[in-house]
Parts: sequence; C-alpha cells; structure tokens
Amino acid sequence: MIIKLERVEVQSRKDMEMIDVTGEVDRVVAASGVRDGIVLILTTHTSSGVLVTEGVECLERDVVAHLERLAPKQPPEGTYGYWHNRYLAFDGRVGFNAGDHLKSILGGVSCFFPVEKGAVVRGSRQRVYFVEYDGPLARTVLIQVIGQ
Amino acid sequence: MKGGIDFHTHPLLVREMADRHPDLARAARETFLIGNTFQPLETLLLELDAAGLDRAVILPIDARTTRGTTLYSNEQVAELCAMSDRLIGFASVDPWKETAADDLEHAVAGLGLRGLKLAPAMQQVLPDDERLEKVYARAEALDVPILFHAGMSWEPGSRLSYGQPLRFEPVAAGHPRLRVVVAHLAWPWVVEAVALALKYPNVYLDTSALYFDNPADFLRFAMTVQVPLSVFERSLRRQIVFGSNYPRVEIKNMARAVRGLPFSDQCLDLIFRSNAEILLGGAR
Repeated sequence: MIIKLERVEVQSRKDMEMIDVTGEVDRVVAASGVRDGIVLILTTHTSSGVLVTEGVECLERDVVAHLERLAPKQPPEGTYGYWHNRYLAFDGRVGFNAGDHLKSILGGVSCFFPVEKGAVVRGSRQRVYFVEYDGPLARTVLIQVIGQ
Repeated sequence: MKGGIDFHTHPLLVREMADRHPDLARAARETFLIGNTFQPLETLLLELDAAGLDRAVILPIDARTTRGTTLYSNEQVAELCAMSDRLIGFASVDPWKETAADDLEHAVAGLGLRGLKLAPAMQQVLPDDERLEKVYARAEALDVPILFHAGMSWEPGSRLSYGQPLRFEPVAAGHPRLRVVVAHLAWPWVVEAVALALKYPNVYLDTSALYFDNPADFLRFAMTVQVPLSVFERSLRRQIVFGSNYPRVEIKNMARAVRGLPFSDQCLDLIFRSNAEILLGGAR
C-alpha cells in the first residue's frame, strides 16, 4: 500500500475565479508510484472550493456567477443579513465573508478519482478546479494518492 | 477612476518577512492579534490590483516599552519596501524613549521612510502628552505627515480614551504646518473627528473604519447617518484619504465600500489619489 500526500499552493489573482488544477493532480499521481488506487483532492480553506466540470471559460464564468447569485457577498438591500458579520476575536477582525463560506459549501470542497495503470481515470470533458471565492490569496490544496 | 493609494495597511502577514524575522510572526499573532494565514507579498500587490490601486502605505507600530515588541521596526519597513516600488514605508517611534525624535529623523533621512505612525492606545501615550512635542516638531521640520490610530481599538489593554479626537486638537492647533491623519474616522467619535477636520485644515481623516456589519454597511452608517455625506463631499473633500486597514479588512472590500457611497467622481479621485499624494509631500 502506498499513501502519498502533497500540499500544492495555488495563488489566486482575483476576488473570485476558477483555477484548473488538473495538471497538478496528474503530476502528483504520476509521481506517487501508485498504479491502482484513488486520488483525493481537498481545499484546506472554508471560503474556497474544489469541483469538477467541463473546462471551458464560459462555463467557469457561469459557475462562479451562479454561486454568487445563490450566496451573494452582499445580500440585496432590505432582504436579509449574515450572522457572521461581527467581530471575531480569534481572527482579530470582523467576519463579513459569510457569502463566500456559503458558496464553498454549495460548490463543495473536495473530489476524488480512480487511478488505473498509474493514471487518473476521468471523463474526457472533466477538469478539476480549485475555486476561489474570496481572493486574491495563496491557498493550499491537498492531493492524496492511495493505492498500490 | 483608475489608480490611487491605500493610506492604511499593516504588513503583518507578509510571509517573506515573517520567514526572515520570526519575531514578526509572533508579534502578528500575539500583539496585533490577527489570525489569518501568512501570505506572499504578491497577495498584497494583487489585493491592490483587485481594488484598482497602485500603491500602499505600510504602517509599523513601535510598542517596545508597552508591549515589548515592534510591529515591524523601521529597518524592517525599509527592507520590505525594497521588495516593491508599490510600497510606501512609514516609520514609528517609541514615545517613551528619549531618542524618539532622533529615531524619526534617522528613519526619514537615513531609511527613506515617508511619514510617521503613532498608536496612542497601544503605546499608552495620549496624543497631547508633552513628551511627544519634540516628535511633532521634528516631523514638522522634516515635512512628513503623522498618521494616528484614533477611535476604538480592539486589542486588549488599548483603552478607548486614548483615541478621542479632541485629544488631537493641541497637535493640530500647535503645529499648523504638520499634516495629521486621524485614522478610522475616529469611530465612534465621527462627529468630533469631523469637527476637528472642519476647524483645522491640516487634519485629514482616513476611511479605514469597520467595527460591525461589513465595510459597505458600516461606512454608509458612519458617513451618511452619523455625519451626512454632503459634509464630506462639500467641506472635507480635500481632507479624506482612502485607507483599508488591511489585513483586518481586504483592500478590495473597503475600496468597493467607498466607491459605493454617492460621492462625485471628482471627490472619489481626491479620496483615492490626490489627497494622499498631497499628504505625502506632493504639490500643495
């Protein structure tokens, strides 16, 4: 049994964006020595996500825009507010990014794929994305390969 | 409106500096009490990009006597500023040290820093304390602005009374050529801070105020309810500068909040750019 964990730093450059990390997943799997098993991909942050979708720029924009509609950074005036908008002593600041945490929950924070003959098995249209909801920030994505 | 300056940032989470100087990492957690992750300098610069700004004023605090540490020494500010021409370094001095005025002169003349940051509540010295007179006189002689923390402080041990705006009146009145920035709109004493700025043309206010809700809702309260926006637009348009208080507030979020207020485009240009340039010693 082989278990390899790699921490990959991803630098987001915008407030919200989708960053294709498929190549990083393939690289970690290839370097792991695992021929048959699974690979897990997980973001370590609660205002970012990991998801799988087709790798086209128009869809990237649609995904982020739709999640922002579902969980807006600033709710429409006169509708509702976030309980998170208050001073958080453990952070030394006011927490006002509840919408970004909610987008993270809605979009998900992890995914996994089978590994066969040393390669990731995924659909021809499937790409793995790190999704930034509150950037720009340097983020950490965990990629773990388990198998033999 | 493109470009501009964030006049109020703290570099406590810059990873390159925390790696080089472990005392900075400790001070960030134990004295500045910020819990966010350390970030490469690139993140700060990308924050400026995301906010549509060019440069940031970097503020240290010298609290050696009262907290046993500096939140960046003047030398560390200069070291950081050498990494990017988008950073404008300010100095800080320990008011309890006899050498404070000379330390300021060294930071300006020797290290190339462009202003002075004082945090009365953390440094436990009232702005009108006689011991600061030499520092004020030296700043005036060096023609550099002073940015004061004003209003409420979250840090335990930092008392509210040190941030009351009227404590700054002797500084503004006694040194009419000294440019003074009263930070955070001196919240909750916004009315008093506005009165100070109305009376003394050498007093500026920065926008870096957030104590509840979110930047947009908070600034709408402070700058339209506590004091009508028309006062800022008509009477104080040349005495307000944009400040975010990064990393307690992301630059993008505070910039969006200020731009969301119903200021004229001309006033926004003054707030984000021209007033800061004048404060830093540009054409007056």
